[in-house]
Amino acid sequence: MAGRRRFLAGLMATGLCPQLTWADAGSPRYLAAARKPSGQYALFGLDASGVRVFELALPDRGHAAAAHPARPVAVAFARRPGTFAVVIDCALGREIARLTAPEGHHFSGHGSFSAAGDLLFTAENDYEAGRGMVGVWDARRGYARLASFPSGGTGPHDLLCLPDGRTLLVANGGIETHPETGRAKLNLPSMRPNLSYLTLEGALLEQVGPPAAWHKNSLRHLAVRGDGLVAVAAQWQGDLAQTPPLLATHRRGAALQFHKAGETHERDMQGYAGSIAFSGSGDAIAITGPRGGVGLIFSASGRLETTVQEPDICGVAAAADGFAFTSGLGLFRAGRPAQPEIVRHRVAWDNHLIQI
Amino acid sequence: MRHLLVTAAFCLASTAAQAVDISAAVDEHILPGYAGLAEKSRQLHAAAEAECRPESPALLAAYGEAFDAWVRISHLRFGPSEQNNRAFALAFWPDPRGATPKALARLMAVGQGSLGTLDTFQTVSIAARGFYAMEFLLFDAQFRAAEDAETRCALVQLLAADIADTSADILAAWQDSYADLMRNAGSNDIYRSEAEAAQQLFTAASTGLEFTSQVRLGRPMGSFERPRPNRAEARRSGRSLRHVVLSLEGTRDLVGHLSDDDAQIDAAFAAAIARAGVLDDPVFAGVADIQGRLRVEVLQQSVETIRQVIAQDLAPRLGIAAGFNALDGD
Repeated sequence: MAGRRRFLAGLMATGLCPQLTWADAGSPRYLAAARKPSGQYALFGLDASGVRVFELALPDRGHAAAAHPARPVAVAFARRPGTFAVVIDCALGREIARLTAPEGHHFSGHGSFSAAGDLLFTAENDYEAGRGMVGVWDARRGYARLASFPSGGTGPHDLLCLPDGRTLLVANGGIETHPETGRAKLNLPSMRPNLSYLTLEGALLEQVGPPAAWHKNSLRHLAVRGDGLVAVAAQWQGDLAQTPPLLATHRRGAALQFHKAGETHERDMQGYAGSIAFSGSGDAIAITGPRGGVGLIFSASGRLETTVQEPDICGVAAAADGFAFTSGLGLFRAGRPAQPEIVRHRVAWDNHLIQI
Repeated sequence: MRHLLVTAAFCLASTAAQAVDISAAVDEHILPGYAGLAEKSRQLHAAAEAECRPESPALLAAYGEAFDAWVRISHLRFGPSEQNNRAFALAFWPDPRGATPKALARLMAVGQGSLGTLDTFQTVSIAARGFYAMEFLLFDAQFRAAEDAETRCALVQLLAADIADTSADILAAWQDSYADLMRNAGSNDIYRSEAEAAQQLFTAASTGLEFTSQVRLGRPMGSFERPRPNRAEARRSGRSLRHVVLSLEGTRDLVGHLSDDDAQIDAAFAAAIARAGVLDDPVFAGVADIQGRLRVEVLQQSVETIRQVIAQDLAPRLGIAAGFNALDGD
């Protein structure tokens, strides 16, 4: 890999190879941040079976990453309330830009490229105002900051560019935090999470949220299917004796629909869904529960189908046959839940597995 | 390494949780705590009915004792305290957007005749209810100087009645059913095993310590460049440091039940409480200068030490998975 990187770097220098593709980075299928046994943090590229394709150092703990739709470029975001994001050329194996959140903002840990890959959108917290923001960065010009606009709520967490190429979806978790008080939640009694659909220029198109009784069900992570069906994973901030559903789906113009997994499974999740994905075929949705070491797999219509048991499971992404999952104990597992194919790594996989 | 990973997974899955006397924690920590809160809140209501002026020594004393009773158990954020937002109705803080003074100002403008009954008051903004709202009415210069003393008096009485009502409701819910749910963990759906009940109590203690460290101390500390003494909890009544001590004493008692009075863990609490005892900075005004901020930071560090000690020494004994992702909260 290192030899090829040197070769590619040489080609780049001669100007003979103007556009690299993900194939030049070894055709990884997934990106994931991790903590290594040394305590250092890194971003990994993994192939479809979970084997390492590349590994690139990160300056601090990561959270999620965004993959460029065409070029072998990944953006690794710092864990909340971090203020850095690293743009990495995965073929050359080097950092090509560093994003720094503007004064008074920090990143949430998530971002998304526009369909053509020209723009990068980041979810940010304007913490003095307690206002969610979206940052816009120019991927064609060294990731210069172009603009920012309100995210439509408080505490935006995940953010996606939708398949129509014109719409941005933000999960405003509703929770106000301030870096001076770390990750302490400052507004639980009055929190109001929502999903906000915005134009790429920031105009609010549509907004939906949970019913008033579940206003403490923080909408945090997103997945979208090719036809625009959105799936949302929630984190319940109220009493754990209550078990509101942690999965919701949404179509533009309709109400947010919550889907119950059943009391036992809801309790196993302990009020906390860490990650969400559609399956490769789009006919299933998985959410992960690291606290109970359980993954729940639903049909796309919201009926619970199967469960996966895996300690500290969290990352999930589409695989050829269903889903791939990662865990804090270093496992990558794909294939059918009953007969998983497992690859073990000497790392703690962090929160999210990102499909390229 | 593969062997190590398998061992780690095995530990998480199968370590039998240390037995915890849940009934003792309920009968000796939780129920007396809520009974104390209900009784002191009842006395606060009586004092407000007798004399509602902010200058009244009896009212201020009753207010202080009831607030003390709340802070001692403010870490018990599960069950009846979370139903109907009762805990938030007693304690709306932190308040980063200043919702409490705004909501109170609106009520003051409404006038005494239109405040309505306790029932209607309980439907107003939750920010206008509870101990922190009452602190504005009794200690804030602007509200103390309000010309409309009659409306302020009526508000003080409504707030006191509401605090007494909410506190009585929490106690009744514990006595009527919730105490038995915990005592009989393993035979109900809320607590499917004794380990789950112990884990709930551990989470309460751990979250309470986190709140003391990050919010009670962290908010006034602000950043090194920009300390925020005006954000100290209950600074108008001079109670900021007192709350740190009371909450440490409260969580110390609960953790004693969970750890079978582990001496090493208790020593970490004793060290933090001793630090607080010598701080001599009741509202953390000292954070405004470097020396003073450092002293508060040392106290914060000693609370962080307790958190680390219980996470490393107590959590595994209770069968709590200390996973990289399970603990992430994002």
